[in-house]
Amino acid sequence: MDMNKKLPVLLLVSVFIIATCGLIYELIAGTLASYLLGDSVTQFSTIIGVYLFSMGLGSWISKYFDKNLLGWFIRIEILVGLVGGTSSSILFLVFESVSSFRIILYGLISITGILVGLEIPLLMRILKDRFEFKDLVSKVFTFDYIGALIASLVFPLLLIPYLGIVRTAYLFGMLNVLVALITCINFKHEIKGAKYLQSASIISLVALLTGFIYANTITNFSESLTYSDTIIFSKSTPYQRIIITKKGRDLRLFLNGNLQFSSVDEYRYHEALIHPVLQALPDAKNVLVMGGGDGLAVREILKYPQIQTVTLVDLDKEMTKLFRTNEMLLKLNNRSFLSPKVTVINADAFSWAREQRKVYDAIIIDFPDPSNYSVGKLYTNTFYAIVKHLLKPDGIMVVQSTSPYIAPKSYYTVEKTLQSVGLHTVPYHNYVPSFGEWGYIMAMSKPVYKVPDHYLPGLRFMSKQCLEQMLYFPKDMARVPAQVNKLNNQILVKYFEDEWSTVL
Amino acid sequence: MSGRLFYNRSSGVKPLSRRSFLLQAGLVTGAIFFNGCIRKIGGGKPAYAHIKGKLSGPNAKAGHALRDKLPMPIPSSQQSVKTLIIGSGISGLSAARWLQKQGETDFKLLELEDHTGGNAFFGTNSVSSYPLGAHYIPIVNNYDKPLVDFLQENGVITHFDEKGQPYYNEFYLCFDPEERLLINGHWQEGIVPDFGVTDNDRKQVIRFFNLITQLKNARGNDSKYVFDIPLDNSSADDTYRKLDRISFHDYLQQNGFNSPYLLWYLNYCCKDDYGTPALNVSAWAGLHYFSARKGTAANADPNAVITWPEGNGWLMKRLRETVKDHVQTSHLAYDIQLDKNGKVAVKVLDLKQNTSAIFHADKVIMASPQFVNQKLLKNIARPGFDASMLHYSPWLIANLTVNEIPTAAKGMVLCWDNVAYNTASVGYVNANQQDTKLVEAKKVITYYLPLCDKEPRLARLAAYTRTYEQWLDIVISEMEQMHPGITEHIEQADMWLWGHGMIAPSVNYIWGSNRQQAKQAINNQIFFAHTDLSGISIFEEAFHQGIRAAQQVIEHNNGAA
Ligand SMILES: Cc1cc2nc3c(=O)[nH]c(=O)nc-3n(C[C@H](O)[C@H](O)[C@H](O)COP(=O)(O)OP(=O)(O)OC[C@H]3O[C@@H](n4cnc5c(N)ncnc54)[C@H](O)[C@@H]3O)c2cc1C
Repeated sequence: MDMNKKLPVLLLVSVFIIATCGLIYELIAGTLASYLLGDSVTQFSTIIGVYLFSMGLGSWISKYFDKNLLGWFIRIEILVGLVGGTSSSILFLVFESVSSFRIILYGLISITGILVGLEIPLLMRILKDRFEFKDLVSKVFTFDYIGALIASLVFPLLLIPYLGIVRTAYLFGMLNVLVALITCINFKHEIKGAKYLQSASIISLVALLTGFIYANTITNFSESLTYSDTIIFSKSTPYQRIIITKKGRDLRLFLNGNLQFSSVDEYRYHEALIHPVLQALPDAKNVLVMGGGDGLAVREILKYPQIQTVTLVDLDKEMTKLFRTNEMLLKLNNRSFLSPKVTVINADAFSWAREQRKVYDAIIIDFPDPSNYSVGKLYTNTFYAIVKHLLKPDGIMVVQSTSPYIAPKSYYTVEKTLQSVGLHTVPYHNYVPSFGEWGYIMAMSKPVYKVPDHYLPGLRFMSKQCLEQMLYFPKDMARVPAQVNKLNNQILVKYFEDEWSTVL
Repeated sequence: MSGRLFYNRSSGVKPLSRRSFLLQAGLVTGAIFFNGCIRKIGGGKPAYAHIKGKLSGPNAKAGHALRDKLPMPIPSSQQSVKTLIIGSGISGLSAARWLQKQGETDFKLLELEDHTGGNAFFGTNSVSSYPLGAHYIPIVNNYDKPLVDFLQENGVITHFDEKGQPYYNEFYLCFDPEERLLINGHWQEGIVPDFGVTDNDRKQVIRFFNLITQLKNARGNDSKYVFDIPLDNSSADDTYRKLDRISFHDYLQQNGFNSPYLLWYLNYCCKDDYGTPALNVSAWAGLHYFSARKGTAANADPNAVITWPEGNGWLMKRLRETVKDHVQTSHLAYDIQLDKNGKVAVKVLDLKQNTSAIFHADKVIMASPQFVNQKLLKNIARPGFDASMLHYSPWLIANLTVNEIPTAAKGMVLCWDNVAYNTASVGYVNANQQDTKLVEAKKVITYYLPLCDKEPRLARLAAYTRTYEQWLDIVISEMEQMHPGITEHIEQADMWLWGHGMIAPSVNYIWGSNRQQAKQAINNQIFFAHTDLSGISIFEEAFHQGIRAAQQVIEHNNGAA
């Protein structure tokens, strides 16, 4: 075949691929930066700015390349493939451990930009003897822009939904290297060190392919993608994945991806959880909290000077440690875990409760929602019967019980289950903006709950009138028939899944 | 054809003459041995290198001794005892407990293993206890007074509600979720195939269970339940008893059940409960499995089951509790004679000391299986009884300690019982199911493989030939099918091989004459109690076998006095 005919076609196809890849890397960087750092407008415009500037830099540098242009072109292709292909993995991996994440982010963007900027001028110079100039300019730019168009369409529509961001990067990295390899094979006679370049591209291709295959391990971190705010902390403990995000004044805690609180409105939740109970127990001295490893419920409890001890049982040591040591979080829970009145026990609540003999004036049950069979055990009649034994005869316990608006069947199943072990129940609810309409159930051995007529000064939400409203259930949250949730028949988990799946 | 037929004619597996048995045995064991050699030459598969564990099973030395392969020491001491029980399985322990309850104090219970329990034995490692055989019982028939009493004594039934319904201890009722099936690439809840099956299959399933509902309540012309537990309480009405004379497989065919999914399910049930497919099980036994349990509870569904990490080992320990001072383990009874003074002379080998003793007993309860009894009683005739007609299904149990169970297929999460459609095993149970802990770093799962691809003697021989590594090949390839990638998460795999796992209720065994003869006491001095005398190996039968034999002993004692 005529070498001179084959070359242009091949190189024009390369232009097309290069253009697509170049834009994809830019989009990936922009998307990742806005995922990880938040504020997408700022992230996108700075990324695009830096990227375009780097491309300009690349074009300018291109004039220093004189000899062996094809060889350089291939080298650059391999490099673009490697840097671009691994960029999103690198960014994911370093995000948690590196303080100067931005330096690495912009560093990578600049390198990719420079390399991509080099490609087109080099190509034009390689092609200039084979085309007429005006023809060349028109051809190269046509392919360049078509590539860009295609990239901008497939990126949001196909690549992100189906491949995910890490795999997409590897895929286009491989395309870049493939261009290098094919060029290398076809023009081995025109290039110095063709053999060496050929093996380099094959090795790079294999490396990228490995990355592509194992991308899932990397995207285990990709849950970060669902948090639109800045992640300031993330850690996998043996029990759960803890993530804390921050946006402006708003601190949010996520456990396994589920929102636990937003610092903006958590007082509504925690005041509602604690004060209807403790305000009705003026002589309460000893309080037990199960779950609630963030120390926010304890913060509310410690507002009562007569409380002598607070015992908190939470499974996860890492969680309670975090809320005992991190300055920002200590400010939020008012250093509750550092109070000498508070004992934190890291244990499995079910097993722990079975062993206990001591009784408490009030018991606060603040477990995660019953979204699986493991947590579901903590919502069974068997568990409540055990907890009942830990409650003084005139004590009160309260259970956070998911949303009576979204999940009425689940909510009233909790109530029915509490009743089944001989407890009298007082259901109530309030509105917590970041959760929606939320439900709680007080339970006690005596059939009477005396509605408190005043509250501690300084509360931001609870008041006498407020509780009156909370005790009232409008028609759309009215009681529905329910069954008892048992260890051998965990209906609650099934209801919970059904009811929430219609919203989520 | 020369030689004795030893496998049931009417069963689906072709009867083998002695010669062709030997030929097949040679081929099968040779092939396994050859495979082992190749495996050695090839070097053990490095993929399993990290898995620790061993292959064990019932005491092999005792087996040799019983088969006359070991010279016995001359008895060096003598002992007298009023009642001697041989075997500490559920039947033997139940007999001992009953004697004690009736005020007997002079009795001993001998067990060849260094532990009690027989098929209800269990193991323990740093993660959990786990069953090696029997692992659950369904809630019991409310009118079964002795069993209900036993369960109540031990807190399994905590109280009765105002309607008289038993309230079962919630820590023992199997926790939700209970069972799932991997079928058509999906884990469905429950084991009766449903995901991806056709309407016709579903209709047949419904028809079958309607039939069962009817049979559950059906009574024969003697107004007894058609299917009851203990099964000897069942109706004598031949309309139903004749079902013992055809195989369950044939019965299903005759009644128009041909849905492959339903047939798979019923076959699975036979393998699960009897260790052998529907072809080798009598229709009576096949239907008994579904229809004999009529228990209800205040706090559980009628078909609920009770279980513990150590399986029926838990119940076994409770049975043993009150009689433990009478138990002597590592004591093998190897010969029984009726002596001149009107006593029974039992020769016993102390497997630890390697000494022999003679126990002179007024009465003996043989709570050992008939294939053993036949050796012990070689000098005593049991007219009309042919032990060679009893078939015992071999089993391989693998307890796997795993740090993760990867799932590829979508659907139901880990359950207590996890089964895959159309596999050789009957699946695995999660030994940690009854744990209230939220998160466990590691679990023990118990994998059950009935060795029923060949007739029992051949399968047993083949099983004894396999090495630990060869079992690993078998177990792991099936586990990988259910959970791709699980191999690297298996830290330990302990195999337990039951050569004579459980009696198979072959055609015409339960209501044929052989079983009736087998139960006959000898000279009013030697009595029998073992689940192989029921033909159905379940805890409830063993429990009643023990009581029946103990009751016979007591009656004869009283009669003599
Ligand atoms: C794999 C498997 C799974 C099972 N799963 C279940 C289940 O889930 N639920 C259920 O209800 N049942 C199950 N079974 C059935 C189980 O066999 C019965 O429930 C029951 O445990 C049988 O008790 P047994 O006393 O009749 O017999 P065995 O358990 O066989 O007891 C006989 C005892 O006698 C001893 N012995 C024998 N010969 C001598 C001798 N010469 N001298 C001294 N001692 C001797 C033996 O060592 C043994 O301990 C299972 C069986 C197997 C094999």
